[in-house]
Amino acid sequence: MPERTLRAAPRSWGKSLLLTLPILLWSLLMFSRAAMQPGRAPKLAAAVTLLLMAALFFQMVRTFETHRWRRYFFVALGFLFPIGFIWDLVALRGSMSIPVERMLSGDTPFCFIVIPMMIVPAALLGTIVFPGSVLATASNPHAISAMVALWLVATLLLGKGWCSYGCFFGGIEEGFAAVAKKPRIKKLDARLRWMPWAVLATVVLLTAALLEPVYCTWLCPFKAVTEYLQVRSFETAFQAGIFAVLFLGLVVVLPLVTKKRTQCSFLCPFGAFQSLFNKTSAFDVRIDRSKCQPCVLCEKACPTLSIGAESLESGKPRLSCMKCGACVDACVRGAVVWHIKGTPVGTSAERARLMHLYSAWGFAVLFGGGIIANTLAKLFGLLV
Amino acid sequence: MKRWRAILGNTAAVATLAILLTTPFLYGWFQKGVAALDLRIDPQYTGGEVARVIQREGYQVVVRKPVPRRTPLQRVDPFVQMTWTPAAKLPAQVSDEIDLDGDGRPDLLVTFDTTHLKLDVTPRNAGYRAVRCSGVVSFSELIARVNDGIVVRVPLR
Repeated sequence: MPERTLRAAPRSWGKSLLLTLPILLWSLLMFSRAAMQPGRAPKLAAAVTLLLMAALFFQMVRTFETHRWRRYFFVALGFLFPIGFIWDLVALRGSMSIPVERMLSGDTPFCFIVIPMMIVPAALLGTIVFPGSVLATASNPHAISAMVALWLVATLLLGKGWCSYGCFFGGIEEGFAAVAKKPRIKKLDARLRWMPWAVLATVVLLTAALLEPVYCTWLCPFKAVTEYLQVRSFETAFQAGIFAVLFLGLVVVLPLVTKKRTQCSFLCPFGAFQSLFNKTSAFDVRIDRSKCQPCVLCEKACPTLSIGAESLESGKPRLSCMKCGACVDACVRGAVVWHIKGTPVGTSAERARLMHLYSAWGFAVLFGGGIIANTLAKLFGLLV
Repeated sequence: MKRWRAILGNTAAVATLAILLTTPFLYGWFQKGVAALDLRIDPQYTGGEVARVIQREGYQVVVRKPVPRRTPLQRVDPFVQMTWTPAAKLPAQVSDEIDLDGDGRPDLLVTFDTTHLKLDVTPRNAGYRAVRCSGVVSFSELIARVNDGIVVRVPLR
């Protein structure tokens, strides 16, 4: 199997098509249910999503580049998710804000960011401190058991890969980070990378102490584009203000000027929590020190400050690596490689990349592809 | 040793792919597995377990067990929740004496108007606080229309 270097020619069309075939079949299987829905819009949306997912995978296989093509899917997911989500909220309750009455009836859609916060109260009291439903209901299809089950499987297998292939929120800032050609702010203090760990520890402890999902109530920037507690008091107005400021600052402005995923790097407690599961995943990224001449292109390309001087020394990115592949794509010497744990570094790197991609892209089709197809069906419904 | 580690690594990589491919088909089982953990939504949202149901003419009052303070820093005060249901069968003005603990003596006099959701609670027992409010004041002091019922929460002393 050819290993990627600067001069590596693209893989042949035939081989690339053959390697894309499993993903094409998988996508057909995943979108067949959507295609069976009545009306033309769901069928068209399923077909467009299927073609998008298969075409992007084909390009990843053919060009040996991962991040470049993955990003198109991820940004589409990031921008289409809020549209579909808000659409559903407005159809269901006429507003993006959630009134207390809806919380009392368990109608708050569950979000995976709550997971690290709910563990301590669940272990100590046997209760989930979130106003959702354990099982899906007619008024709340986003059940806790469904999201936790999907998250658990994906996380144990892909580790922090969730943040590159599953997290619809990450796609928004990745989109803004992709706008500028060059960053205006080039130097970011690497110590800031500890911030998500501090936020994680704080919100976990405070949630256990206050028995309320503190991050969702006070800090989540994505409340600005999903749902927030109905403004009925100074406190809820203040919370809405925090959401808007954090969203504009960390998800829009800072990614625009730094070309980094700043919310993920400096705030997201869920991302920090996910980092721990990089240990359970069979795949990782390594730096082949025999090929590396520290040009720091990988460090500059990393969207989450996961490569530093010590990574180049040790041959491993930091624990926060989300396996997006930006560093591998950026390395002109082929020194940054995909790797299957336990195997020698640098041998069969392309096989490791493909194995990882089949798993990660398979999950992306299943989870993100479904979200994209659902939203596209709503949008196409306006036209056809 | 290196050879075994490589075999293990490759096996894990193949297993990752296999498990992900079976996920959509075993998803229902995974979900049931999570649901079988018997975790419940926190009672500050659900109102707690049902203690008793009081039958009235044309409607019923579902009384739940008091939800105590479980941590010293918890912001939601202890409360007891009652639900009048079905809301459609309630008179315009409801006035009910409620025996919360089932000792045969009323603990609260609850009066509210079903149109404007104006609530007036007079405690007959020192364990409860008086309430005079409209709508939602806090999680422990409110009157709200939820699904097919009218929910009232009264803070405990």
